[in-house]
Amino acid sequence: MEVTLKVKRYEFGNDLGSSEQSYTIEIDGQDTLLDALLQIRDEKDPTLGFRGSCRSGFCGDCTMTVHGKGAITCRTKVEEASKKSKDGVIPIAPMKLTKVVKDLIYDDEQFHWAKIKATEPWVDVASTVPDQDQKISNEQVKELRLAMSCTQCGLCDQGCVVLAIDKTYLGPGALTKAFRTVHDSRDTRYKERLDSLSGKRGMWDCAHCFEASEHCPKGIEPTDRIFDLHDKVIKEDLGVGGAKRHYKSFAASVKADGWLDEARLAIESEGLGNVKGILRLIPLAVKAALRGKRPMPYFLHKKRPGHKKIRSIFEKWEVKK
Amino acid sequence: MLYHDVVVVGGGFAGMRAALSAKAAGANVGLISKVHPMRSHSSGSHSGINASLKPHDSWEVHLQDTLKAGEYLNNQDAVEILCKEAKTEIATLENFGMVFSRDEHGFIDVTNFSGSSIPRTAFSGDSLGHILLQVLYERIVREQIVTYDEWMVSSILVDNGSCRGVVAREFKTGDLHIVSGKTVILATGNLGKLYQFSTCSLTGTGDGQALAYRAGASLVDMEFIQYAPTAIKRRGILITEMARAMGGYLLNKNGDRFLKSYSPDLMELAPRHIINQAIFQEISEGRGEGDSVFLDMRHLNREMFSDQLRETEYLLRDLEDLNPEKDLIPVQPAMHRPIGGIQTDTKGATTVPGLFAVGECSNNGSHGAGRLGGNSLLDNMVFGRLAGEAAAGYISCDSSKIELDRVFGKEQDKFGELFNRDSTDELPGMLRRELSNIMDVHVGYRRDKLGLENALKLITELAARTKKLGISNKNAQFNMEPQMLLELEFMMQLARVMVRSALSREESRGDHNRTDYPYTDNSNWLKHTVVTQVNGEDKLHYTEVVSTRWKEMEVENGSHS
Repeated sequence: MEVTLKVKRYEFGNDLGSSEQSYTIEIDGQDTLLDALLQIRDEKDPTLGFRGSCRSGFCGDCTMTVHGKGAITCRTKVEEASKKSKDGVIPIAPMKLTKVVKDLIYDDEQFHWAKIKATEPWVDVASTVPDQDQKISNEQVKELRLAMSCTQCGLCDQGCVVLAIDKTYLGPGALTKAFRTVHDSRDTRYKERLDSLSGKRGMWDCAHCFEASEHCPKGIEPTDRIFDLHDKVIKEDLGVGGAKRHYKSFAASVKADGWLDEARLAIESEGLGNVKGILRLIPLAVKAALRGKRPMPYFLHKKRPGHKKIRSIFEKWEVKK
Repeated sequence: MLYHDVVVVGGGFAGMRAALSAKAAGANVGLISKVHPMRSHSSGSHSGINASLKPHDSWEVHLQDTLKAGEYLNNQDAVEILCKEAKTEIATLENFGMVFSRDEHGFIDVTNFSGSSIPRTAFSGDSLGHILLQVLYERIVREQIVTYDEWMVSSILVDNGSCRGVVAREFKTGDLHIVSGKTVILATGNLGKLYQFSTCSLTGTGDGQALAYRAGASLVDMEFIQYAPTAIKRRGILITEMARAMGGYLLNKNGDRFLKSYSPDLMELAPRHIINQAIFQEISEGRGEGDSVFLDMRHLNREMFSDQLRETEYLLRDLEDLNPEKDLIPVQPAMHRPIGGIQTDTKGATTVPGLFAVGECSNNGSHGAGRLGGNSLLDNMVFGRLAGEAAAGYISCDSSKIELDRVFGKEQDKFGELFNRDSTDELPGMLRRELSNIMDVHVGYRRDKLGLENALKLITELAARTKKLGISNKNAQFNMEPQMLLELEFMMQLARVMVRSALSREESRGDHNRTDYPYTDNSNWLKHTVVTQVNGEDKLHYTEVVSTRWKEMEVENGSHS
């Protein structure tokens, strides 16, 4: 089939600005977008810059933005991509959120690899001599293998709503990597790792929006891996207090009244003994009241109709745990 | 100027393993890689790693399987080390944090692989490679080994006959750098991009082989090219052997498991060259579906696809819209890896003092004429470790001060000249496609004198055209044109050596099939083909196979099947 790719061009010190260039080629519709870009570079324009390596979706090198959405170009077929627009033209741009180096090549060092490294992504085993007889359950191997099927393609980070406003957040990619070390029973630094991942810009900055899971091409569900980390921290009673109190209060409130009591959540998140923190809430409460939002102090909070059913769900779940 | 005791070139399995062991031996290590190490071709290696871990097994049996698969062209000293060291290496990887699939007791599990007489291959579902690459990279980060990501080595610094470092081009800035070193370990991997229908990643352009050859090292057994039986039709993307190890069948268009006529005992787990032969035979006798046969996994259970074969299911879903639980998968053999490479001893040392090589780009004779499935990763680990240790302990007998400025100046001039040359109508990518078509057609799975001679003529013509190519964009930053030109020159040089080697070996053995010499000829050809560059000419000679304890092993002449 004949297809046109509209490619974003950029070159440092060159006046391309944010120009676009269209290439029309003859290609099998079943070929991938990476195949198409290679054909363009080989037959039409050797100056076109893009990354690519394994061609089969295992190395994560050829991630780009296609039709405005992150995509692994070696797993995206030309015909399918072409069908997504009325005129059949396929727009291709570099990854968002990161600095572009040239054309479709982005700077992955600061945004991606530096964060992976910051999680100290290695397993420290107790044994100092080579030991082939360390036991791991098949269940755990399955979970570790799933987390490690991550190709560091960066798509989850592209989708993350927190990273979009705060690039210093570790992000779902690095946290999935962190899950891999924390979840490995051979590692000897379990609590230390959880503690440090609980710090600023760490796991508690997750906004629970599930965009990471939506974006992951391997079905790793990075959002769930972050929740796994949350669960471990709460279970071990580690990390900074605020986030944990917030979680516990949230659950307790819904369990008690059937819905969220925001005033209770605010006060309990700060900590009941934390006078300074609670005093800080007063201007916020006044402002909310002036805007017609009146979160009542929680002893006056009304229960939601049917709250007993909700409580029983909680109780069932607690017994199961 | 940058300096490391040990400069490793290549960030795949072999390179990272060598870097880690050199570092553990106390050396200051730097690792240069054309792509970020996590983007290496190793990420797509989904097979397994052999080791006689289980009580029913022993390194001697492993050795015998290896010799059989290599059709006795193996250097037995190398095979002995490979098989003996395997167990320790697996245990070391386990300590590194490697996640192997487990048996019901929680211990490392093993499965059956092509050519093995008993289950011996440790695995991690169908993604061992991807997971091992991560684990090695994790260790590189832990050991704070300096990596130069997206740098490409353009030449090896040789002074007074000794290797003294490399010149490398940094893609991001376009700058040339000297990375000097006491030793250099080449671990650049595959040369699969010489072929169009290949399972290789885009990075596999044979850089290390060509760099070493230019620096005066020898290339050995370059005629042997292993094909993988089950690549996705038309794409050349590999469906891992794990699909067969987990119970997958191969069917012809009549729905017959045709291997029963070729290898009734081992069936789908026969050595790779037997399966390839069988598939080509079925196709040429009209029992293929066009030019492919079918991989059948429909009888495997759902659980298998949700865990052990999960990546395979995703791959087929994304690219082929096929569901392995319901559909037959059309497959055909594709060029997979070279058996030959830079000639080294068992410590990875080449004939150039200070220059080491390891992994797919190298050859110490352990694989013979064809490789046992699951031995490749083992080779990377065992010999990677040994090469790293040897390089770290290397004491140069040459203490003269190298004239780096002069050598560097020459390299700068070369790139300057490249950038000054105006581009012609011809593009490097087009010439690469032409080259790979020649290799597919004439230097592929089956060869003969006529085709090989024709290939040599065509390659010579192409090489002349390559010399005229220029660079159209004069801006150096992240300009991929110099890389493409350099790679093309490397590939042209290697293609010539491969064709010459293939022409010279007038027999069929392992992964070298001459239709005009269909027999294995042990009386004349139980020897290695070695090519060295002398005054710009490819000079061919032969060396004996190293036979140690297994001299009396039965080696039969006969038809090559």
